[in-house]
Amino acid sequence: MVAGNRVAGALTFVAPLAFLVVIWAVVVPAFEVRPQIFPSVSAVFAAGIAGLRDGTLLTHVATSLARVAIGTVLAIIVAVPLGILMGISKGVSAFLTPLLRFFSVLAGIAWIPIATLWFGYGFGAIVFVIFNAVFFVVVYNTLLGVSTIPMPIRNAAASLGAGRLAMLSDVLLPGALPNIVTGIRTGLGFAWRGLIAAEMIATNVGLGYMLFVARDFYQTEVIIFGMIVIGTLWLLIDRLILAPLERATIERWGLVRA
Amino acid sequence: MNAALVLWSWWVRTSAKWPVLQTLAPFVPVVALWWGVAAWGPFPPAFFPSPPDVVRAFGSLIYKGILPEYLGDSVARLAAGAAVGIALGIPLGLLIGLSRRAYTALWPILLFFQAIGDIAWLPILIIWFGFGMTTMTIIIVYTVLFPVVLNTVLGVRSVRIELYRAAQSLGATPARVLTEVVIPGALPNIITGLRNGLGYGWRALIAAEMIVGTSGIGFMMFDARRAGSVVEIVLGMIVLGILWYIVDAWVLAPIERATGRRWGLVTQ
Amino acid sequence: MKSLSLRSLSKTYFDLYAGSQHTALHDISLDVPAGEFVSIVGPSGCGKSTILNMVAGFIPQSGGEILVGGEPVKGPGADRGVVFQSFALFPWKTVLENVGFGPKMRGIAKAERDEIAREYLDLVGLAHAADRYPNELSGGMQQRVGVVRALANKPDILLMDEPFASVDAQTRMTLQEELTRIWEERRPTVIFITHDVPEAVFLANRVVVLSKGHILEQVEIPLARPRVWDQLVEDDGFKELSNKVLALVRAA
Repeated sequence: MVAGNRVAGALTFVAPLAFLVVIWAVVVPAFEVRPQIFPSVSAVFAAGIAGLRDGTLLTHVATSLARVAIGTVLAIIVAVPLGILMGISKGVSAFLTPLLRFFSVLAGIAWIPIATLWFGYGFGAIVFVIFNAVFFVVVYNTLLGVSTIPMPIRNAAASLGAGRLAMLSDVLLPGALPNIVTGIRTGLGFAWRGLIAAEMIATNVGLGYMLFVARDFYQTEVIIFGMIVIGTLWLLIDRLILAPLERATIERWGLVRA
Repeated sequence: MNAALVLWSWWVRTSAKWPVLQTLAPFVPVVALWWGVAAWGPFPPAFFPSPPDVVRAFGSLIYKGILPEYLGDSVARLAAGAAVGIALGIPLGLLIGLSRRAYTALWPILLFFQAIGDIAWLPILIIWFGFGMTTMTIIIVYTVLFPVVLNTVLGVRSVRIELYRAAQSLGATPARVLTEVVIPGALPNIITGLRNGLGYGWRALIAAEMIVGTSGIGFMMFDARRAGSVVEIVLGMIVLGILWYIVDAWVLAPIERATGRRWGLVTQ
Repeated sequence: MKSLSLRSLSKTYFDLYAGSQHTALHDISLDVPAGEFVSIVGPSGCGKSTILNMVAGFIPQSGGEILVGGEPVKGPGADRGVVFQSFALFPWKTVLENVGFGPKMRGIAKAERDEIAREYLDLVGLAHAADRYPNELSGGMQQRVGVVRALANKPDILLMDEPFASVDAQTRMTLQEELTRIWEERRPTVIFITHDVPEAVFLANRVVVLSKGHILEQVEIPLARPRVWDQLVEDDGFKELSNKVLALVRAA
């Protein structure tokens, strides 16, 4: 029953998209759209096959994903402990909030010029852009999460004999977790866009680069194929990893995001 | 001890009177640290400018009229794109939120196109429209549109069924239900969507200006990078941050306070 | 004021989990003359709110007829005012605008509908709260607004769905006394849903006991009016009727 529902759900999700592909397949030949303007379905399909066969697609995708993964993991490792420490004291967190908001507003794309100056074109600059897209948003949300844990809960834990360490691991971290997850989801959203932008500007491998270089040769089929890959990858990351994570913390515990 | 308390209480009272101080205070140690590192740190000034360098660059760019012009260009682009995005997004969101059929047909398409992301459209848009205003406007409309639509749908669906029923049993026609119940009920979410959309739109604009621009703050920063002028890059970042802060704190946050919070509605 | 007739009313729906047809109500026949106050009591899940939702026109019936003043009900309408358990005030409208909503829908000009709204707010002593938002009021005050919002639209029948269930016990008794006072002055036709037996007896001319989707029994409440709690708690007639209804509900 449940499995049947899931299949039906997936079908109703895919159907409108499939319909869109059908329209595309009909419109392009019917109006004789030039391939330099918009590619046919078969050309995009062929571009995908070609990319798979010569291995370039895999290289681009793997490089992009590796950059995002490294930047994000580094950012989370640094940001969460920092956010919790800063959030423990209400005074400190209130003091730092404007600063963090300022930097999370700047996070990501705005750092591309200076990142390329400091690190040169390539891996370092891009990981740096992703790192700070995720970092500031996660610090800010962690701090927000810790500072919104109701005082009675902290007092209850203290009066039940929780020491500093237990307070950290059993109260502050789980209490802030829904906010942390929300922060990661938002930050990754910015990071993903930052990645594509940075790859267009500052590298010679990756999905953004693949799109941008195809533009030089009017290879619309490669561009459209790349866009589909980018969209699908993000949908998979968001729906299969981030959204379930958020549901697992927020909905299960009945917490509402602050 | 006592003197510290007196000082602290003075600070609490003064900052309560001028909340701007609360916003500015945390930047004092950051700027001081930056200054210190620039003065005594190992980095050459060309690589890591000091605060006075940035202030001087600010003065000279204002004097030459470049900064006001570029800033004006960026803000005008963002405003135009946002206006179109909202004008399209709210009606679309209402339609999808109210009609089951529209939801089934359009929701997956929306999610997919949102996932592609604004920046990825740049190459093909450049092919279609060239380097220029049209390309940038489309990018911003695209960026603002999705958060507005998605949040409007969320807002429409968050209106409790009793409120529809109450309005109907007080004699409201479907059109009146829309204007009196659905739209105000969805408004806090719509504003949240707008806030997110502008946040994304802002970043997209900077990226677009870097890649295709001939003017604007993003272009200024990237041009400075080409010339190796770190001062102007840092200046650009500061201007961007301050500008967004002003928009967020003086325009969006007050609207949010006047609607959702006063009404006791919580958006998600 | 108009009368209400339910003729062999039934409601069935398809239970997705059980995979079969489920009968929520069957063969409900009830006549409420104009100006009568009828309470419907019963344990949770007996279908009492379903009756009210069908009379209000929020959900369609599966069989039978609902007649208001002899006319069949087709969807929600201003002739039947509803008071909700969750108050259902519009959070984005002030108290005055909430009470003036019905008149506004009838196209009455702002000055006049504000006057109407103020008059009704006076009825429950809330004139001072006219410019506040519902969110800023206590539960008891919100429900007073809910009641006069329905009354201000001059409905033929007032439908009340456990209106006092989510306010504290003290406030509930005050609200009950205010409601009887208003009813005694204006004599609207009222259908009052509750699971609180003393409340049902205190308010009504007649109590209908519902059990598993059908009417178990109807009990006339010939207690004198005006009714006030201080007198009725000591009253033997009240105690006797309450115990009788309570026994029926327990058996249901």
